[in-house]
Amino acid sequence: MVRDITFGQYYAGKSLLHRMDPRMKLILTFGMIVAIFICHNFYSLALMALFAAAAVVFSGVPAKMILKSIKPVMVILAFTAILNIFYTKGGETYFEWWKISVTEKGVNTALFTVIRIIVLVVISSLLTYTTTPTMLTDAIERLLSPLKIFHVKVHTLAMMMTLALRFIPTLIEEIERIMNAQKARGADLESGGLIHRAKALVPIFIPLMVSSFRRAYELAFAMTCRCYTGGNGRTRMKQMKLHARDFITLFVCLAVVAGIIVLNHFFTRII
Amino acid sequence: MTYPIELRNVSYYYSPGTPLQVAALKNINLKIGEGELAGIIGHTGSGKSTLISHFNGLLRPVEGSVIIDGEDLAKDKETLRAARFKVGLCFQYPEAQLFEETVARDIAFGPKNMKLSDEEINERVKKAAEFVGLKPELLEKSPFDLSGGEKRRAAIAGVMAMEPKVLVLDEPAAGLDPGGKNEILSMISEYKKRTGCTVVLVSHSMEDIASVADRVIVMNAGTIAMDGTVDEVFSHSAELRSMGLNVPEITRIFIRLRELGYDVPADVYSVEKGAQILREMIRRRSV
Ligand SMILES: Nc1ncnc2c1ncn2[C@@H]1O[C@H](COP(=O)(O)OP(=O)(O)OP(=O)(O)O)[C@@H](O)[C@H]1O
Ligand SMILES: [Mg+2]
Repeated sequence: MVRDITFGQYYAGKSLLHRMDPRMKLILTFGMIVAIFICHNFYSLALMALFAAAAVVFSGVPAKMILKSIKPVMVILAFTAILNIFYTKGGETYFEWWKISVTEKGVNTALFTVIRIIVLVVISSLLTYTTTPTMLTDAIERLLSPLKIFHVKVHTLAMMMTLALRFIPTLIEEIERIMNAQKARGADLESGGLIHRAKALVPIFIPLMVSSFRRAYELAFAMTCRCYTGGNGRTRMKQMKLHARDFITLFVCLAVVAGIIVLNHFFTRII
Repeated sequence: MTYPIELRNVSYYYSPGTPLQVAALKNINLKIGEGELAGIIGHTGSGKSTLISHFNGLLRPVEGSVIIDGEDLAKDKETLRAARFKVGLCFQYPEAQLFEETVARDIAFGPKNMKLSDEEINERVKKAAEFVGLKPELLEKSPFDLSGGEKRRAAIAGVMAMEPKVLVLDEPAAGLDPGGKNEILSMISEYKKRTGCTVVLVSHSMEDIASVADRVIVMNAGTIAMDGTVDEVFSHSAELRSMGLNVPEITRIFIRLRELGYDVPADVYSVEKGAQILREMIRRRSV
């Protein structure tokens, strides 16, 4: 069913990562993703992987959920691994047959890239697991607020993002309802060629558009009635504040980055 | 004996196998006979909409079987598709399903999916529109330009035009003013009288059900809690109340009067009848 698509996969909890300031979390996530790409050899990558594993432990998110977030990139992983194994040449040859050969360098690069992608996915999914979409957009708004000098409507953009996220489940429900209603009138959504199927979507798409526009107007009215006038002079119920934990995490991350640079320096480069 | 609708030991779960699993239907056994006008009533979330979605195979039971017109829906795809046309399902707030450029074309959507001839389709569209009381000049308008009540009628006409053997309506009067509500309800009993079709009406208003249905099926937390004639079901007013339902106000007044020792009937469901009885009592007293 359409409903099964998970979105904004927040995992409720009270862990260290959950309680961190979302702004700091966002910056550190970006920073650590960059750090993944600084790693040049297995030693520095191992340090990075260790950091990711520790982050998982501190987030309190069950390993099962983490594995679930890796699942969608499995195809990409397999694809990159195969490409790297067969197309990167160099070093000792392990295996050769006809035009295909597998070399030491190929295996190493494949392994390296796969681990790198996994670490990347784990770290970025930790952000969405421990931060609600609303907190995330709030953080983005706050971080981008210096752009106001250039007359960028940061608040409006953030509000649009929040609303879009908020209405995704509603829209999914609506699609399901309309689909059922049309199926009850004998609409055939499953069989036929491509054109037939595309045509079959019209009875679903049009009511969806109509109700979305209606909903948007209603929401705009409701917001106006509650004196919403955009970001100016608006205060927040939940103030974001940096705590000791945010700085400690920052130092841990800096230490990891320093470690990566040192390890990169002392061991030979693989990639 | 085959029934238009028969459910045997049907259970249904939403999101099975997850922590969010909800048992929406629990071991339902139900037979609805030819030409019946059955009302399904129940508190919000009791499983009414889930139940009727089984009647035309939109939902497939996790356990048990659904037999429509003597054929098990699990048999094959053709049986399932045939059931879509045998059982016409009109959902809650059906105006959300309108999409065509004109009302007439929207009503024709169902018949067109049945692959009928153009003449037959036109015939049915006219008949259904007339039946629900849509004026012919509205037929060429865009469905989005209609009023709320007219939209509702157009959507119901869209299901009626398929001429299903069983017409199932989920809260057809929800959100309408009292006048519009009564018109829709009398339209439904008129439809049943004229076509002899089986009709299933879902509602959580006791008054609505009492005014049109022969049989009342009470749903509570995914099970059928009561099933009987209007009188039988309403005589259990205490149990109904425990399920978050209530007998019509006028009936409650009469039940209370009986408790106070007045000799009045307990099966009064409409204000008109109640007023008549009370007037008579007052007249007798003053004589
Ligand atoms: N798509 C769904 N996913 C998960 N749970 C659902 C879904 N639809 C309904 N439910 C749950 O199943 C139960 C029965 O719902 P159903 O819609 O059948 O109730 P209902 O009797 O029609 O209520 P109402 O009078 O409000 O229309 C409820 O507890 C509801 O929360
Ligand atoms: Mg319902």
